[in-house]
Amino acid sequence: MGLLSILRKLKSTPDQEVRILLLGLDNGGKTTLLKQLASEDITHITPTQGFNIKSVQSQGFKLNVWDIGGQRKIRPYWRNYFENTDVLIYVIDSADRKRFEETGQELAELLDEEKLSGVPVLVFANKQDLLTAAPASEIAEGLNLHTIRDRVWQIQSCSALTGEGVQDGMNWVCKSVNAKRK
Amino acid sequence: MRTNTNHFRATRLLRMLGYIWQCFYSSCLRFWLKWFLRLVTGRCELQRICARCKAGALRTAQIEYSLKCSKSKVLRAALSLKENDLDEHLAQIIQEKRIKEQKDPTFKVNLRQCLLQINGYSELFEEVEDLRKQVFDSENEEHENMLLKLWDLLMPSEKLESRVTKQWGNIGFQGEDPKTDFRGMGMLGLTNLLFFSENHPDAARQVLSHASHPRLGYSYAIVGINLTEMAYSLMKSDALKPHFYNTVSGKPQMQHFHHFYCYLAYEFDKFWLEEEPESIMEFNRYREKFHDKVKGQLQKPEVKLIMTVDQEK
Repeated sequence: MGLLSILRKLKSTPDQEVRILLLGLDNGGKTTLLKQLASEDITHITPTQGFNIKSVQSQGFKLNVWDIGGQRKIRPYWRNYFENTDVLIYVIDSADRKRFEETGQELAELLDEEKLSGVPVLVFANKQDLLTAAPASEIAEGLNLHTIRDRVWQIQSCSALTGEGVQDGMNWVCKSVNAKRK
Repeated sequence: MRTNTNHFRATRLLRMLGYIWQCFYSSCLRFWLKWFLRLVTGRCELQRICARCKAGALRTAQIEYSLKCSKSKVLRAALSLKENDLDEHLAQIIQEKRIKEQKDPTFKVNLRQCLLQINGYSELFEEVEDLRKQVFDSENEEHENMLLKLWDLLMPSEKLESRVTKQWGNIGFQGEDPKTDFRGMGMLGLTNLLFFSENHPDAARQVLSHASHPRLGYSYAIVGINLTEMAYSLMKSDALKPHFYNTVSGKPQMQHFHHFYCYLAYEFDKFWLEEEPESIMEFNRYREKFHDKVKGQLQKPEVKLIMTVDQEK
């Protein structure tokens, strides 16, 4: 699975750009996920200062995935990347229970953002390869995801490291982009 | 349109001719040229390189290329030697190439130095790779002490209130516990950061003060770990060879890698301030620009990337 296969699953409308935004706390695994999607080496990853972007283009149709650094200091810049977002992917370190509250707060603030209103959200309960990882159901409950009424949402357990669950999540992303464009 | 097609054809033809020439040269001409030169000068290619080029990247890189292209197994094997086998192998080369040592007394010393540099580079890379693969472990006392020492060196006037604290943000870690920030660079990242602060405390603090600037600032430690990645990948791709061949006359050691990191940390800071980026979000763009600049410098055969401290204005 790669970015190109995701692009192919999306209904193509020429000259259009699909924009996927990856957000979440630092050390959640956003860059690993991005590199996994782009089939790149994930062993030399460093903390993201600023942002990373990967793009694929096919028949005039473009998919951009934006991975924005998660450290507190640069979270105020997140809003600069909201515009025209088709799907928000929120990445959580399922093993870092101490920061569940913090990550929940950040997500809640994102869902209140006007520029992101109605944008489908996929929550990746990442790092399921770790023994201490909380299951997706527990995270969904902790984040009160079931109270979200104003958009479609999904939680998907995954391991960006091994790639497990990533494909399922991305299939959901494609489906919701296509549904929105009908 | 027509000229475009013609132009395209011409470039393709030129490229093809270049390719044919290269094949012809490496498969046949190079051999006869060497044979002829050997006959006229009475010296083999290795000897000619040593006589023609002064010590450093120019000589060592040409020796390396000559050994790599050699038809002789003994010569090719000289590129993957352990230090202990070096002298024995040197004697084998001299025998294989029927070199008369009395006629060219400096040759052996010179070739030995080249082999030390060539093989030392790959050995050093293995060491660097081992250190990178070592994950920072908060249960490991040595790792913990290194981290605390980094704090003390960078922030001599401020005590850490506890091991897990927001204060780490003051030296540019992301959260309250730096342990998650080393990622794919592992202990190599921490060792680099610590080496810079230990060996150039004033310069490191000067860079940290620039990094703390409200408008032009950046996360000192995180950027440092990104620069470790830069140094590492430059070494991995062999781009660092000319620098090491020019600056270390024998086998390069770990400290030489750390010194190169210091160069990057110091120079990147200057570069960042000169470029005046709009915000920290532009980091990767300027990182690439800086990377290209360093790669360009590394292509010059005489390159030496040594950190030199400017007087603070």
